[in-house]
Amino acid sequence: MLLTELEARNFRNVRGKTVCGSGLNILLGDNGQGKTNWLECIHILATTRSFRTSKLSESIRFDEPSALLVGKIQVSEDIAHELRAVIEGTSKAFSVNGKRETIQRYLGELHAVVFNADELEVVRGTPENRRRFLDDSITAIHPPYVQTTADYSKIVRQKNSLLQNARDRELSLEKISEALAPWNEQLVSVASKVHRSRVRIVERLNSALAKGLFGEEKIAIRYLSSLEDKGDLNDYEALITERLEMRVQAEMVAGHSLIGPHRDDLEITLNGRDIRKFGSSGQQRSALLLLQLANIEIFFEQRGEYPLFLLDDIDAELDYRRIGQLLEYLSGRTQTFVTTSKESFADEFGSLATIMRVKDGEITPSLSTVQSAGM
Amino acid sequence: MLDYSEPVARLIDEFKRLPGVGHKSAQRLAFYILRRPKTEIDAFVESLREVKEKIVFCSTCNNLTDVDPCLYCANPKRDRSIVCIVEEPYNLVAVEKTRSFRGLYHILHGSLSPIRGVGPDELMIANLLPRLLPENNDGVEVQEIIIATNPTTEGEATANYIARLLKPLGVRCTRIAMGMPVGSDLEYVDEVTMDKALANRHEM
Ligand SMILES: [Zn+2]
Repeated sequence: MLLTELEARNFRNVRGKTVCGSGLNILLGDNGQGKTNWLECIHILATTRSFRTSKLSESIRFDEPSALLVGKIQVSEDIAHELRAVIEGTSKAFSVNGKRETIQRYLGELHAVVFNADELEVVRGTPENRRRFLDDSITAIHPPYVQTTADYSKIVRQKNSLLQNARDRELSLEKISEALAPWNEQLVSVASKVHRSRVRIVERLNSALAKGLFGEEKIAIRYLSSLEDKGDLNDYEALITERLEMRVQAEMVAGHSLIGPHRDDLEITLNGRDIRKFGSSGQQRSALLLLQLANIEIFFEQRGEYPLFLLDDIDAELDYRRIGQLLEYLSGRTQTFVTTSKESFADEFGSLATIMRVKDGEITPSLSTVQSAGM
Repeated sequence: MLDYSEPVARLIDEFKRLPGVGHKSAQRLAFYILRRPKTEIDAFVESLREVKEKIVFCSTCNNLTDVDPCLYCANPKRDRSIVCIVEEPYNLVAVEKTRSFRGLYHILHGSLSPIRGVGPDELMIANLLPRLLPENNDGVEVQEIIIATNPTTEGEATANYIARLLKPLGVRCTRIAMGMPVGSDLEYVDEVTMDKALANRHEM
């Protein structure tokens, strides 16, 4: 995948337009100038989501009705697509070559994997972060899965509302079972799909991790179903059906859904030890990096091309030795975008890179870049 | 201070109550109205009044109609042994456009959604079981119920609820197949797709 041009209007403080190099792109500028905002633009064009906020409306420049992001991608030698994201109020619209697409269809166009400080929550944060990590990995190689996760969380929210209401009104167990039945039946089928997909993606990530793609650390992951010690996970559908029937009372007392993959987790181990509890922060960074590289590899296995790789504030997260190894590994694989505030970084790694300077939101490709991009 | 003189501001406020109309569209509509000739506006106002005065729910199928029973329920050529359940009157129109369904309808006027406070009691479902009895159906026994609620989680829950409700009656209960984008509204589905979905309905 190749992003050849990038443009933004009324998005945070950024403005201007740039061409992008096919290998390493270094966004260079002092802190607070808008480097990360540009990275965020790429991420939104690729995934329809920001890696910073769920309220995209806050990213529209003050006093402007809408923000516009435009990216040109090279699909094949002869085919280029223009991707557009329009953020207006709380809504966002995505189009390809001027034609509006559903998010599900749009998601196949471009993909990006991100490595930043927030993403470290996958390794050291709450289970929710790890579930999202897995769901994102699945969606990347199978976009219709986005509908499955949307349906699942909708069913859980409807169920929660019903349970809360039942608790407040002190409904009888029989009544509540009856009201829950239509939602639980759907939950069983969608939850089974989520469970199957996550188990499968963990298998694939593990086989990519086992190849020891990069560095010396060996990590492994294991999907931790919340029903693990409750019965036979191989017959997940029967198991969850049974648990749902058994736990109606408990769910009503709790006032929310207790059974299902929204309670699951992912175990990440380094040399057999849980990295969340026992890993140093350097090991946690390495683990996340390895997970993201595994993601990139399975994306390649599935699609025959590499996603974009975005690394925010790269030298704050990794030392130069690691960065050197990483960039060498990525070279010839991904189109990579990194942000840094250090001139020394550009001196060290910039020889084969496209350097873009970001000042006061404005992006300026360095002269050599413009030439190498053939403009 | 108001941005506009009071009558204009009030009109904008009224438009803003309509579903899917934000402040900007409301302004646009208000100024459109202001520019139209008075006769046109009178006709518009009259149609609003008439719809409120003359349109009632069909006592059999809950369709919106100016005669009760509605044109479908009163039509002797319709097959009374088969009933198609839909969420909204515009879903009926979508099914009707296929011209492949000749039975009767039942309109729920919504779908189950605990979040929006819609439970079975909020749907127009109470008159469903009674109408299926032969004595309330021109002596005809109902052979099949097709559930054509939307392919959303709410629509599925509603279908599931109805299937459970009908189970004791032993009547054949089918769900239309979804050869259409999941998560969408029946309203936006083209006729070819709708026709296919009807043909591929399955047992529940
Ligand atoms: Zn009728």
